[in-house]
Amino acid sequence: MRHPSLQRAFGCTVIAVAVLLAVFAPLLAPADPNRSGVDMLDLPSLANLFGTDDLGRDIFSRVMHGAQPSLLIGFGAACVAMLIGVPIGLAGGYMRGRIDLLVVGVIDLFIALPGLILALIITAMVGATLRNLVLVLGFVMWPPVARLVRGQALAVREALFVEAARAVGGSHGWIIRRHVLPNILRVIAAQFAVSVSVAIFTSASLSFLGLGLPPPMPDWGGMVRSGFDYLSINPFMSLAPGAAVTLTVMGFYVVGTSFK
Amino acid sequence: MGRLILTRLAMMAVNVLAISALLFFSVTTLLGSPAAMMLGEDASPAAVAALNTQYGFDRPPIEQFGTWIGHALQGDFGRSFITRQSVAAAIADCVPVTLELTVFSILLAVVLAVGSSTAPVARRLVGAASTAAILIGVTVPNFMIGISLILAFSVGLGWLPSTGWVSWSEGALSHLQHILLPVLTLSAYYFGVFSIVYRAEYRDVCERMFMRVARAKGLGEWRVAFRHAMPNAILPVITFVGISLGQLTGGAVVTETIFSMPGTGRLFVSAIAGHDFPVMLAVGVMIVVGVVTMNLLADIAYSLANPQIRHE
Repeated sequence: MRHPSLQRAFGCTVIAVAVLLAVFAPLLAPADPNRSGVDMLDLPSLANLFGTDDLGRDIFSRVMHGAQPSLLIGFGAACVAMLIGVPIGLAGGYMRGRIDLLVVGVIDLFIALPGLILALIITAMVGATLRNLVLVLGFVMWPPVARLVRGQALAVREALFVEAARAVGGSHGWIIRRHVLPNILRVIAAQFAVSVSVAIFTSASLSFLGLGLPPPMPDWGGMVRSGFDYLSINPFMSLAPGAAVTLTVMGFYVVGTSFK
Repeated sequence: MGRLILTRLAMMAVNVLAISALLFFSVTTLLGSPAAMMLGEDASPAAVAALNTQYGFDRPPIEQFGTWIGHALQGDFGRSFITRQSVAAAIADCVPVTLELTVFSILLAVVLAVGSSTAPVARRLVGAASTAAILIGVTVPNFMIGISLILAFSVGLGWLPSTGWVSWSEGALSHLQHILLPVLTLSAYYFGVFSIVYRAEYRDVCERMFMRVARAKGLGEWRVAFRHAMPNAILPVITFVGISLGQLTGGAVVTETIFSMPGTGRLFVSAIAGHDFPVMLAVGVMIVVGVVTMNLLADIAYSLANPQIRHE
């Protein structure tokens, strides 16, 4: 997959399927994701496409239902990261001087912190709910966004049209809004897609470590974790939700990088 | 050079202090009273109060932080709330495992990334294969790679043990067998990112004049690639190793959990699950110190490798 258009097509297809599942899973899924049965750890069959889990629930339906929380966390956290990172990056890159020194200092301070570790600590303290995960992951992901936006703003502010805007007496706010921001929007959009993929990746890792959404919520990372104990009986209990995470992460990542 | 290192050291100390304070205050204020947690929900208020006085939880946070950092600087991180073991001793037991895992993983990732992108054999085939491998390494979550490896090599083929840990002294072969899958798991992501960084630089280097000169001299492709191109393209990878160490610790946490390795990452996860806050704090601060130190070392290595920076 060397061609950007091919990558983009793959990524967009994956995203479309994921969004479709997130919205219509209750209509599309063949079974109730939380109804347990007596046939536990069955291998894949026509009735249960990926078999059943340790409580006899249909894995296929659970994977379909897992799309919604994953995408909510992914989009939500990426939005939070943008809301914090973009203004900070713009301020540093456009204003230069002391503000920039402060911005770079804060970014460096936070970038030294490993995102997953930070997310683990904060999630453990505030509790793993959908809202908390969105906020925590967004907070963990803003430094790279700010760094990218700062670099872009730094380059754009030297452009002739910014000088012209300043020469006609434009205020800083107006120049940033009308001249700097539109020119780096493409990069921000690409970073947004990458951020969604990182958020889904990280939240799945958190769930795998036991800090995911509380059961019985179908949560991909948590499902991989619970299937881990039954790997030799029905590997699909781990593999199916794991593949769902992987494809979704790959889809968003590929779309994001193809626009960079 | 000396001044550069000194200023960086001072900045590093400030950074570590700031992050330690941040961790300490957020952990202490958000977690509530450790005493209530240690004694359980039905503890009498008197017992909670007694424990608070004993451990000094009732003192103002800033004073507690002062005491904690004072002891920490002397290598005393207190005792675990759960096991009552000295935190410093528990960490000392775990560090070698994590260190070995991460060092092997970085080495493997760098060698594979640089080697596969440099070697002048079957470029198209290797190129396509490693483009796919890079995408897999960067986007497939750590735990999926680990589980797939376990399924293939332990459950399916039965060649390697799936989990557990055997120390060097208990048998070198068994030790290597146990560490092989974790190292492969952890290095996948780094193979991806190192390759991306290295390839971009390698392409630039190949355009440079000295490459044409080297070929014009009649040097073989292997010599041109490894003696002339590689040393000039490897600098960003060195920096990147430093930058990515923070993320690496995160990956190590997941990898150690999958393979039940008795390392720092697993210690950290179990401390979090048990709200064992002395262990959480100590491991958190230790990770930050490690990451910041490695960043500094990477900067020094970078300036040693590039005289232009050294003489600035």
